[in-house]
Amino acid sequence: MATRSRPARSFPPLRGLLPLVVLLVIWQAVGSERSPYFPTPSSWVGGLSTLAANGTLWRAAEATLLTFSMALVVATVLGALLGLLVGASKRADRALGPTLEFARALPPAAIVPIAVLLIGYDQRMKVTVVTFATIWPILLNARAGVRSLNPVLLDTAKSLHLSWMDSTRKCTMPALVPAILLGVRVAAPVALVITLLVEIITRVGGLGALIALSQRNYLSAQVYGLILVAGLFSFMVNGLVAALEASVLRRRMSR
Amino acid sequence: MTRSSMVTSRRRKALRRANVPGLLTMLVLLGLWEILVRFGVTEFQFLPAPSAIARGAERLLRSGDLQGNLLHTLRVTTLGWLAAGLLGISLGLLLGLSNTAWRYSMASIEVMRAIPPVSLVPIALLVFGFSVRMELTIIVFVSAWPVLVNAIAGVRSVRAELVDVSRMLRLSRLAQIRKVILPGAMPSIVVGLRLAMSLSLVLAVVAEMIGNPSGLGHAVIRAQQALQPEDMFAYVLTIGMLGVALNTLLRFVSARVLPSLATGPGDAR
Repeated sequence: MATRSRPARSFPPLRGLLPLVVLLVIWQAVGSERSPYFPTPSSWVGGLSTLAANGTLWRAAEATLLTFSMALVVATVLGALLGLLVGASKRADRALGPTLEFARALPPAAIVPIAVLLIGYDQRMKVTVVTFATIWPILLNARAGVRSLNPVLLDTAKSLHLSWMDSTRKCTMPALVPAILLGVRVAAPVALVITLLVEIITRVGGLGALIALSQRNYLSAQVYGLILVAGLFSFMVNGLVAALEASVLRRRMSR
Repeated sequence: MTRSSMVTSRRRKALRRANVPGLLTMLVLLGLWEILVRFGVTEFQFLPAPSAIARGAERLLRSGDLQGNLLHTLRVTTLGWLAAGLLGISLGLLLGLSNTAWRYSMASIEVMRAIPPVSLVPIALLVFGFSVRMELTIIVFVSAWPVLVNAIAGVRSVRAELVDVSRMLRLSRLAQIRKVILPGAMPSIVVGLRLAMSLSLVLAVVAEMIGNPSGLGHAVIRAQQALQPEDMFAYVLTIGMLGVALNTLLRFVSARVLPSLATGPGDAR
């Protein structure tokens, strides 16, 4: 099983892209540029370039990235704090368990109308929904991290008479940060998807809103082009996340 | 241990499993919500009190709107999930068993999978218009990926010795798949099926919100636009409960079929 020791998610051999390339080539050859359903791949670029020329594309991309990163930061802070709470206290865990479990089971899409009605069509609503959807993996990982804290570590801090500050900084945090970051790793792709989801449903700014608008106006080539951009975003997020995971693992190994 | 003490211990265990403090917390939070709304302390204009939501739900139940919408969403979700499962497992077997097929397709699958699923809803809308077909297509297309990827990984993780033994026993290819490969890949496939179930429900709701005008998703949006927060909350809670019910059912069934999975990560209580 020597191959198993490679990093868990290395990209499969590139020749595997062949079917996709063949499909696109056939599509380009057979399809029509004016098709309302399946416009040819070459027309996607044209659809995008008009959006890029008048700046709409960049503004939308900026709005999406802003919502994505704001929500991820809020979710990380809130999720870590809540996770530390329910991880440190069995009682809090049992008391909050069912409520959190139910909140987690609510599909993010179902939260959108509530947030719209309570907050309105704005940036705050978007960040709230995305935070709500992405907080769970961070919370669960932080909880697991606290649970797996080595008691000897805490006892050592106590017997060395470290102040609360010092024991947090030197013992607890180094042990917890990797766990929280692994939660962020899972949360980041979700955050992007939910950001797009909110934008598609509510049409409040960003790439998602642009996709929904193009679809409504039957600008098929634009829809496909924008989805390509969304795919690129998600590829970038996945890449960043993989890098994050690698660095966390490396730090873990070196300790 | 006497019979009666066994019964009481079982009852005690059931009580402990019921998590009384957890339910109490839920009730307290609901009560707090009720009080805050009653006394107008919250700044939210459209936040109904839990009692108002309950009355809304009762009205919807009596008129049959809730059941009708629930039934539609449930039907589409399970149908889409089943189709996605079948598609994912059969394709996964194919790609997992043949190294060549895997090498010449996996990268494409990874690329396709990276496309955020919700962004495909507009395409489905373009192609199929506002219809059930659009809803089903999007569910199957999105939910099939986790099953496919997990089936491939599961098949590829079956130990080579087991495959060798099956070959030595001269099992036919079909018997080999049925008796060795599938059981070995099952834990991984079940994980994929679970992911697919929650995805199916999410996508059904999304598709109903912006595409197919029926089911719970559409009902939520309609209630929101009609400024009927009680109805909206009732529908949202129904969606949540449907999610919990489907998840629990699947967990129960998979624990029955595969006892080793019952204590998987996330199931610890």
